[in-house]
Amino acid sequence: MNRRVLFAAVLIFSCASCNRAAPATGAGGKPTVALVLKTLNHPFFVDMRRGAQEAADRLGVTLQVQAAEREIDVEKQMQIVENMIQTGIQALAITPSGSREIVSALVKARDAKVPIVVVDTRLDPKAAADAGVHAETFVGSDNYEGGKLAGEYLVKATGGKARVGILEGIPGHETGDSRLRGFRDAVKGAAGVAIVASQPANWERDQGFNVFQNMLQAHPEIDSVFACSDLMALGAVEAIRAAGKTGAIRVVGFDALDDAKKAIASGSMEASVAQFPAEMGRAAIESAVKVIHGEKLPDEIKVKLELVTRDNVK
Amino acid sequence: MNRARRFGTVIGLVVLCAILWILTPYFLTVSNLLNVAEQTSINAIVAVGMTFVILSAGIDLSVGSIVAFAGVVLGLALRGDQPLAVALALALATGVVCGLVNGLLVSVGDLPPFIVTLGTMSIARGAALLVTEGRPISGFAPSFRVLATGRVGFVPAPVIATAVVYLAAHVALTRTTFGRYVYAIGGNEEATRLSGVAVRFHKAMIYAVSGLMSAIAAVILTARLNSAQPIAGMMYELDAIAATVIGGTSLMGGDGTLAGTLVGALIMGVLRNGLNLLGVSSFLQQIVIGGVIVVAVLLDTMLKRNRM
Repeated sequence: MNRRVLFAAVLIFSCASCNRAAPATGAGGKPTVALVLKTLNHPFFVDMRRGAQEAADRLGVTLQVQAAEREIDVEKQMQIVENMIQTGIQALAITPSGSREIVSALVKARDAKVPIVVVDTRLDPKAAADAGVHAETFVGSDNYEGGKLAGEYLVKATGGKARVGILEGIPGHETGDSRLRGFRDAVKGAAGVAIVASQPANWERDQGFNVFQNMLQAHPEIDSVFACSDLMALGAVEAIRAAGKTGAIRVVGFDALDDAKKAIASGSMEASVAQFPAEMGRAAIESAVKVIHGEKLPDEIKVKLELVTRDNVK
Repeated sequence: MNRARRFGTVIGLVVLCAILWILTPYFLTVSNLLNVAEQTSINAIVAVGMTFVILSAGIDLSVGSIVAFAGVVLGLALRGDQPLAVALALALATGVVCGLVNGLLVSVGDLPPFIVTLGTMSIARGAALLVTEGRPISGFAPSFRVLATGRVGFVPAPVIATAVVYLAAHVALTRTTFGRYVYAIGGNEEATRLSGVAVRFHKAMIYAVSGLMSAIAAVILTARLNSAQPIAGMMYELDAIAATVIGGTSLMGGDGTLAGTLVGALIMGVLRNGLNLLGVSSFLQQIVIGGVIVVAVLLDTMLKRNRM
């Protein structure tokens, strides 16, 4: 019986050695674009996918969306890129899980002559240059500007007097680092604004809750919070509620998620910097299609930012 | 005796490949198969250590954290301009020491492996975050990166490393007294002790082997990503346990093979790759992978029952 199994296996593999791979053209000869996201269990990326899908349908390209299970799993994202390249995609749009790490995967895309559009999170310029990886364009909001917007708002809203606690994203992530830099630069000028604590909560809601709860224990004087993402901000909102300090502490977040907008409308949160992920997805696919058609793209395609407060929340 | 079961997993792998071959033209190409082999190598190597541990009726939940810790030690050493050989030795030593700590707590401390390695999982992760202040260390010399990007002929270096590791571990497990004791301890620890075997020593060594394997995986991972991340390797313990169990190793210990584990790791790698090629939603992928694990164990149990 064993021999028969082996025989069958050999048969299958030898049949298969005839190469059936052809360049990926979806149904009806449509070009295929891959959109590789950090994760799909975050509303930001779900919105991005929606925008990308609309653009793909409109432009008549087949869209393949893949993401790692966890946002920080850059090795899994690398595997996905390698696998997508195998299907002969004509362009790759990617939101890197790691600005430096993903460059190793993009080298393989370059070698397979797949043009790259980087979305939302920039590549590390040095790592990309060292590896000889060139992105056709970067589609995204300026996270530094967004952080600055949040900082300037806080200075104004508090009349230049605040004790601020900051919830950071995963250390070493370009997105969070830029927002943080923008925020710090904006409040630097205000002498009455002091950052009394700054801790990573790794982009997560439950960690935002725990970290802020601990922060409040150590620094009961905190009257303002800047969280580098709304999920962490919403965690902090809950921690504030648990401490019975709702309304006494201003929370400024980033991303303007639906839940955050609700919190802003109800007054438990102060403001959030809105990004437009669906817009990013749309622009990413439009750019990818332009590249496929041989058009030249600008180095950067900026997607607008907007501060959502109680006055303009919808 | 367990030949029927071993072939069960091989048949599973062949069937899986055949299905993917039918469903997508991109699966059975030389470049894709090498791609799968390369992607599988890290889990396959971690799973070698896990197989040793599970064969001895233990469990090691700390492997993923050890991958991260050994990785950042490697990264810091390379950053500190240590020669490549020194950096590699430091990384491997880190893995072995972590494993030994596990092993001594389990054997001399007589503590349940689940609890010990749950604790060291957190300790090693914290240590990795602490020494790096949470930031990845990246950008290494090509002479190091070649460990992941290099090719021998057309075979990627990580695949060669995996083959060497499996050969060496297979010999250790089947041709040495240490290997025999691994099975004996898992089969009946008390009887093994009574027959005069230094059970404590060998159990400590088993966990040290697991730590070493995690460190080897860390070297490949760090070279592959060109970065040592303190948050790397999360959930690797579950992938390694899955590969071992799909490969037919009994969680009760004493029964299983490394060949089975390799096939188990390949099944998981092929599945992930195939689901990507097919463009299956990433949520559905998790369900499929979980289903395969359950079905594999179910088949295994049924075959075992038939044998009795």
